[in-house]
Amino acid sequence: MFDLEIEVNGKQEQVSVEADTTLLYLLRDKLGLTGSKDGCRSGDCGACVVLLDGKTVNACMVLAPQANGASVMTVEGLAKDGELHPLQRCFSESWAFQCGFCTGGMLMSCYALLKSNSNPTRDEIRAAIAGNFCRCTGYQALVTAVEQAAAELRANNV
Amino acid sequence: MSDTHIVGKRVPAANANEIVTGQARYCPDIDLPGMLFGKLLYSPYARARVIRLDVSKARKIPGVAAIITHADIPGENSYLYAAADQPLLVIDEVRYQGEALAAVAAVDEHTADIALAAIEVEYEQLPGIFDPVEAMHPDADQIVPGEKNVLSSHSFSTGDVEAAIATADVVIQNKYQTQCAEHAFLETEGGVGLVEDDGRITVYSSCQAPHRDRMQIARALAMPESMVRVITPSIGGAFGAKDEAHVQIHAALLAHATGQPVRLIRGRRESILTHVKRHPFIVEYTTAATSDGKLVAVKARAIADAGPYTNATQEVLHKFGEFVGGPYKIVNLEVELIGVRTNNPITGAFRGFGAPQAAFVYESQMDDLARKLGMDPLQIRLLNGVETGTKTYTGVLIREGSAMKASLRKAAEMIAWQKRHSCERQPAPHLRRGFGIATTIKGSGAGRGIADHASAALEMHRDGSVILHSAAADMGQGIVTVMTQIAAERLGIDLASITVTNADTSRSPDAGPTCASRQTMVSGNAVLKAANTIRDSLLTMAARKTKTEKHRLDLKVGHLTIDGKPHELSVKDLALRASNWGIPLHSESLVHFEYPEDAPMATYRFAQEVFQFGTQIAQVLVDCETGQVTVERLIAVHDAGKMINPGGVYGQIEGGIAQGIGYALTEELIVEAGLTQNPSLENYIVPLSLDIPEIEIEVLEIPEPFGAPLGAKGIAESPLVPTAPAIRNAICDAINKPLYRLPMTAERILSIGDD
Amino acid sequence: MKPAEFLSPTTLNDALELKHKHGAAARVIAGGTDLILRMRAQVLTPSLLIDLQHAALNNIKVSDKYLEVGASLTISEVLQNTRIEDLFPAIHMACRKFAGPPIRNRATIGGNIVNASPAADLVSPLIAYDAEIVLKSANGERTMPLVTFFTGAGKTLLKDDEILTQIRLPLSAASTNAYFIKLAQRNSMAISQLNLTTRLNLNRQGLIETARIVLGSVAAVPMRAMAAEAMLVGEKSSEDLFYAAAAQARQEVKPISDIRASREYRLQMTQVLVRRALLESIANV
Repeated sequence: MFDLEIEVNGKQEQVSVEADTTLLYLLRDKLGLTGSKDGCRSGDCGACVVLLDGKTVNACMVLAPQANGASVMTVEGLAKDGELHPLQRCFSESWAFQCGFCTGGMLMSCYALLKSNSNPTRDEIRAAIAGNFCRCTGYQALVTAVEQAAAELRANNV
Repeated sequence: MSDTHIVGKRVPAANANEIVTGQARYCPDIDLPGMLFGKLLYSPYARARVIRLDVSKARKIPGVAAIITHADIPGENSYLYAAADQPLLVIDEVRYQGEALAAVAAVDEHTADIALAAIEVEYEQLPGIFDPVEAMHPDADQIVPGEKNVLSSHSFSTGDVEAAIATADVVIQNKYQTQCAEHAFLETEGGVGLVEDDGRITVYSSCQAPHRDRMQIARALAMPESMVRVITPSIGGAFGAKDEAHVQIHAALLAHATGQPVRLIRGRRESILTHVKRHPFIVEYTTAATSDGKLVAVKARAIADAGPYTNATQEVLHKFGEFVGGPYKIVNLEVELIGVRTNNPITGAFRGFGAPQAAFVYESQMDDLARKLGMDPLQIRLLNGVETGTKTYTGVLIREGSAMKASLRKAAEMIAWQKRHSCERQPAPHLRRGFGIATTIKGSGAGRGIADHASAALEMHRDGSVILHSAAADMGQGIVTVMTQIAAERLGIDLASITVTNADTSRSPDAGPTCASRQTMVSGNAVLKAANTIRDSLLTMAARKTKTEKHRLDLKVGHLTIDGKPHELSVKDLALRASNWGIPLHSESLVHFEYPEDAPMATYRFAQEVFQFGTQIAQVLVDCETGQVTVERLIAVHDAGKMINPGGVYGQIEGGIAQGIGYALTEELIVEAGLTQNPSLENYIVPLSLDIPEIEIEVLEIPEPFGAPLGAKGIAESPLVPTAPAIRNAICDAINKPLYRLPMTAERILSIGDD
Repeated sequence: MKPAEFLSPTTLNDALELKHKHGAAARVIAGGTDLILRMRAQVLTPSLLIDLQHAALNNIKVSDKYLEVGASLTISEVLQNTRIEDLFPAIHMACRKFAGPPIRNRATIGGNIVNASPAADLVSPLIAYDAEIVLKSANGERTMPLVTFFTGAGKTLLKDDEILTQIRLPLSAASTNAYFIKLAQRNSMAISQLNLTTRLNLNRQGLIETARIVLGSVAAVPMRAMAAEAMLVGEKSSEDLFYAAAAQARQEVKPISDIRASREYRLQMTQVLVRRALLESIANV
């Protein structure tokens, strides 16, 4: 067993896992954070994308011990004090999803994008989600949602 | 309905908040005390006799709670969709790769894996049959003993096809081939079974048809259906493959065997190997026309590779036949539909249900015909297109068909069709640009001869809040949102006042499967009817209180209105008064989609009554040295009747087109001697965000007059249908060579003309 | 199956000591994007994982002759490094086509090399720039040209006690005319049907002094089309010359058919894309 400390959505956690446990299993089964989804276990779908020390990763492709001492942010950490992040609100308003199974990972990829680029073009948004598979939409409403969220965030920061 | 306050608005999906916060619960997210983990043992072979299946060692592994084989199934060992020829667990012979032999329940996934590895199976590999034409041979080995390999064979004809072909000015004859395609829904199949204190079985099922699931689970358990309860949690996509049962029955069997909750989720590889696929078709097609481009006859023969079991093959073939002539006026038509068993993957429903295969063929034919006659592809379609009042060759009256030509004209206008070739057609020596058009027809509703009903229950409480019960499964396409909007509209309340329960067979009568683009119409009508009853009670209260005739009253945005002006009485006040007066504000409706008396099912089995039309135009750039295709523009004009929620409608259109682009260019389950070569999202090539262009969408809102709530009809399937032929016709326009096989991979495009 | 033990040494020496002690039973884990898959499929069942993320292999520095790139640099870090983009643009181009952002944030340049996939995206540009690699063990270190490192699909000269620590890019190859092409079935999250890098160094007279044509997914290992390269050296670049070199490259590759492409298509594409890459290499000259 491997004892690790990890900060998840601002909360410090101490857990003991098998060395080959993935970060995804840790989040979903040990910590009950099921917003990150298990879609392929091979890094191909992006449904489990979370931020690891600020960078998007597929949680199914990270061993939990690799994340020892790191900070993780999942879709459950986006809303603050019950208030939705503009990305979450714009995703809802624009119909950026249908079945919603990709949405947790998709939101995290878009959140990471907006942290580094406050005014992305549609092409840049598409590039940022190129590792996030969505079978329901054609990504179009989703790209629009990110544009709108970016505009809101810029307006709020003025 | 022009002054609607909620219907027609792009409000967020009913479950949007749970989804964006990660709180929506799908089957894999369900965690119950004492829950076990289920796994299935799948056959590695496409065809083999099971000489020995020994689970005794595996059963002894600590942590293994149960292992069941065919011998342990209390009731019927079969799925039941159209036929009951597919076992839940193999008895003595596996007939496709991935067929299940045993089910394990263990304390955790790891232990379940160890148990699977400890099950001893001795196989005798048998020579499979993988070519449907070979399987049709009278001397071919029977794939299912006692059953013919040709599991479905139907012919339909009208007019005098041979005479029409003989006298036609031009005859186009081609052979087409379409691929085995995978749904690739993001949430793999799953079910969670548990035994209630009173012995009833509850199953959370990622499915499209909770009541049909219930029937199948009860059959397998040899329990009355009343003792089985099926609930749909959030569902991560389905697209037809979850219309047929998958692992939910096994989850129920394991829960029954152990007395503990069991969660059974397929891994991605198993998912791709085991659920029904879009049928591969081989189609021989003859189009006959006059020299001025008027269609005089169509003759088609289609062979669908069913895999070993029946599933929805017969229905898919019928749907193919129903639309094989396209949205065109055709007097002489003959179609032969053959479904054949093989040892290839099992097949069934997939968005479009036979219509995409048909459209690829008939729209390719139309372009080949136009080319041969030197006609404009747009004009030849306008010349032959159906209209309102056209009787189709299957004998159905098209009550509203104006969208056929309207969609063609609108799409042509959006891309300036007549000037399309004024662009740079060869931007580099190796690049060619082309334009292709396709216009298609697809129906809404289950079709003649199939139960097509739904019910919904609405209750308004004394505080004005409403609960809606419906058993219509929402796999992401938005039926729950549609139902809440219709209810809110009729009851004059806001969406926040409505709570919708998940589809639950213990609470709601059957709404039928969520398939065939039917729920907006059928469940939409059920909600409309239930809401109208409550509305009437509220207006009766209001009329009494305000001493006003009822017809002057309405409910809008939370308030009573008189002659359109808001009154101080709120809907809430009316609800409270009704409660105080002892008037129930509860209504349960049952609606049955009524097929007209003059349209007996004998005309054409499963024929639909309500149609969606749509036209798409693709602009592509073909790299003639590599064969690679870039879809530069995609124009889509679709008919949705009245839109209940534009967000949902546009979403269905862009999503359908994205799947259509994959169907056209890259998606193919590669099956060699029955073994799937690419059972992963890495190797089954679905287009991603950088592969799909910005789609230019226009929706035609032409209210549907027949059986449609507030004029709305289904839109879920039709947007996928024209995409592949539009892209095909664009590629052919670019390279000036025809293509007859899907998908049109770079390599295939490059190799045509070589042979 | 016993789950692996996981250790995170904080210095390279500690990592090397562990590798020395445990040999083949221990696997080094950097990003893990390939290793985790192989462990899940039970292709690899290491008893120990040696985590390299704290072993200080993630910096880039310039020595007198080389740009020295730490093996643990992620694809994203390589992509964002402006010095690499300026001096060795074909590497940057390959990173842009690599998988998708979340994988790029984990996968490392060293991992892409030691996995020895015939289709590895970064290997063809690295070989084209004459990259050398540094292999360290507790007993010392050795360097070798990257092109000689691969012995077969999934096979390399890496010894059981060695760790790939650094990739050295000769500054003499910097700012030469290079171009990378990836042929794949979609624009992200795709394994190459074929990838290639061409690099040309022209002398003052405009004659080709150095030529590299490196291809992936056309043989068991990433390979140089050396006869085609030889046809170019000493010549003045021209469309005809490139056409001939591309035809020669086609003769040199030994592709197989698989689910992504047939042998015939790969042969054809070798010719088409080598010519195209050569033309693109000098497009800005």
